Amino acid sequence: MAIENGRLRDHGLQSERLLWPTKGPGVFEQEVAALEQAVGLTTLEKAVAWAQTKSMWPDTFGLACCAIEMMSIVSPRYDIARFGMEAFRSSPRQADLLIVSGRVVHKMAAPLRQVYDQMLEPKWVIAMGACASSGGMFNNYTTLQGVDKIVAVDIHVPGCPPRPEALIEGIVRLHEKVMAGVPPAYEIRGVAS
Amino acid sequence: MVEVRETHGETTLVVDTPRIVEAARHLRDELGFNFLSDVTATDYLGWGAKSVSGYIGTPTGRDLNKPSTQGYQRLPQPKPRRFSVSYHLLGLRAGAPRVRLQAWIDDGETVPTLVGVWPTADWHEREAWDMMGIRFDGHPNLSRILMEDDWEGHPLRKDYPIGGEPVRFSGEE
Amino acid sequence: MAVAPEQLIYEGTRIPSPTPSVLQVPEDLRASEDILNINFGPNHPSTHGVLRLVVDLHGEEVVGLAAVVGYLHTGFEKNMEQKSWWKAITYAPRIDYLAFQNNELVFVLAVEKLLGLEVPGRATWMRMLLAELNRIHSHLVWLGTAALEIGAISMFWYCFRERDRILDLFELVAGARMHTRYFQVGGLAEDIPPGFFGECAKFVELMPKAIDDYEGLVDRNPIWLERTKSLGLLSADDAIALGQSGPVLRGSGVDWDLRRAQPYLTYDQVDFRVPVYQEGDVWARYRVRMEEMRESVRIVDQALRRMPDGPWIADDRKVVLPPREELHTSMESLIYHFKIVTEGFRVPEGEVYTAVESPRGELGCYVVSDGGPKPWRVKFRAPSFVALQATATCMSGALIADMIAIVGSLDTLMGEVDR
Repeated sequence: MAIENGRLRDHGLQSERLLWPTKGPGVFEQEVAALEQAVGLTTLEKAVAWAQTKSMWPDTFGLACCAIEMMSIVSPRYDIARFGMEAFRSSPRQADLLIVSGRVVHKMAAPLRQVYDQMLEPKWVIAMGACASSGGMFNNYTTLQGVDKIVAVDIHVPGCPPRPEALIEGIVRLHEKVMAGVPPAYEIRGVAS
Repeated sequence: MVEVRETHGETTLVVDTPRIVEAARHLRDELGFNFLSDVTATDYLGWGAKSVSGYIGTPTGRDLNKPSTQGYQRLPQPKPRRFSVSYHLLGLRAGAPRVRLQAWIDDGETVPTLVGVWPTADWHEREAWDMMGIRFDGHPNLSRILMEDDWEGHPLRKDYPIGGEPVRFSGEE
Repeated sequence: MAVAPEQLIYEGTRIPSPTPSVLQVPEDLRASEDILNINFGPNHPSTHGVLRLVVDLHGEEVVGLAAVVGYLHTGFEKNMEQKSWWKAITYAPRIDYLAFQNNELVFVLAVEKLLGLEVPGRATWMRMLLAELNRIHSHLVWLGTAALEIGAISMFWYCFRERDRILDLFELVAGARMHTRYFQVGGLAEDIPPGFFGECAKFVELMPKAIDDYEGLVDRNPIWLERTKSLGLLSADDAIALGQSGPVLRGSGVDWDLRRAQPYLTYDQVDFRVPVYQEGDVWARYRVRMEEMRESVRIVDQALRRMPDGPWIADDRKVVLPPREELHTSMESLIYHFKIVTEGFRVPEGEVYTAVESPRGELGCYVVSDGGPKPWRVKFRAPSFVALQATATCMSGALIADMIAIVGSLDTLMGEVDR
């Protein structure tokens, strides 16, 4: 089966299996392994995926409280410079990853979509926090109930706000997805990017 | 001056709406309340109409003799009009005296603006217009501030629904 | 105490008219073709969140400014009207998400005022301690991001190092790093865990040295001084007319601090200075916040030493859950527990306005209750909402690079502005 000698382990698994060697593959790994077999990347594509993962630059899209926790992953303790991601680009043209951190309201939905459109492919979106994933505790006239209504989201990170470790776990899982050959969410869903 | 109320250690001065600028100037110049903290509009539609007492009580209040009452059996006092606009004033001197200036209006009536007295009332009044639909006469720029410019309706009114979507659970049909 | 500084920062008033919050391009310039209208959009790295500034530029000079807000308006107030009093406390910290427990504090103080509830000493002292830790936290994030925007990038990492220590303390005491929802109507939600005082004492030891570090980085740096001195001038009279409070007011020479003037919690029993600077520029506000951090550390130190023992929440069963052991023995406790958890406690009819000194200024909460289990109207008077109105006044004669420094020095937080 692909999981025993599949690419996840080859490339140095960063998720819970490293810390827990006797644990079997989790649901995430099984699904990704199935995709890996189906996708079957060539060596060049694997190299490109590796390069994309190791320096995926986020865009400065901090909206509310989650932005503060997003800033703290840049802080010395939860350093994401280890993952090559401390360069938060202000221009969406230079960014690969859009971490939507915070509640998105209808007034902000248009700028969000505009920023997403300005990003160049391939691009990934992490919906950080409960408000970006589903509207959070704000089920009302003004809050967008989940940012996946307007952009295609790859990873949802739960929490209110998620701990920096939780956000880093989400980022690492995104890296694993990319290295496994999973296409970005807009391709999977077949939506405009 | 229509009424003076003192509750919870706070003084509320209810004034006649057309004379509010006079009252404000008097408070600022003579009594020294030179700081406007807040302008709040409140909608009292449905005040006391729904049974406040919950599932046991009735709209007319609770009976102290019935079991399981919590003792708060007063009916809320009826309000004179639908909207109240409260101006919270503060005097920047020892003792920090605070006073609340209140004006009552109905839907469609307007309140004279206090931007000339305290310039900080600018955005507060815009927010009151945006959220509650209370017009302020003489305000230089009464436009929507928190909602989009072409939004219809005034969200914080009691007859405006909370909106949002019903939460769908994954197991349900 | 209040107004009348010796030297005026500028003559007269600089508040633009007719609209106090919009800087209009002067007539003569409007006719010429040199005005460039630029949008500092909601997604901008230097605008502290989703603020949109529409500026008119004449070369590098800012001649027209209008702020557009509302990009984070989450409808807090309407949501809080739908929930019971207990659940509404959860919404409060997300309004000012940097000094989160201050919002909880002001809301809970307002509800307790309506209820007429006495809070035990331990809870009051702990609330004050946590409010001061929140102040340090907020100022640290402010300093890190404001310095980052002006260009002193390494300050960001220094400040966030200490900030993580404060969040560790919050996690120790309440279980979550941010948005702890630790304050309850009547006191605190849970007792203070053992080990907190030791950790907090260690923090109090190292914090003054950390503040020395920050000052060593920028205080005498000529670039910092050039970029912050004599910029964003706001005179005392203008500041009062514009409703400013907090460091912005104290940086303009007005000695006004709610902790001193209207002592709430136990601020009258601790010894602290209130820093006031006369210059009214960005540098003065920066100095005020740095010294406030030092004073907050002193307050935390005093609170640690003088924390009384005792109950951490009031004893009034109608409002506060009874202790669990009692539920096995007492029928009334069971009924109270049931009523409070299902329906919620009722707050008598009335309206109150409570204000505390949050790191940004006067944070006020106006609560109207109709006697029922849900709030009728909750309004938070956000200091940043008012501070943003002052951008137009501070911006006279500023260059575009100064605009970033000035908006940063007003320490606006868009969650508060838009609620």
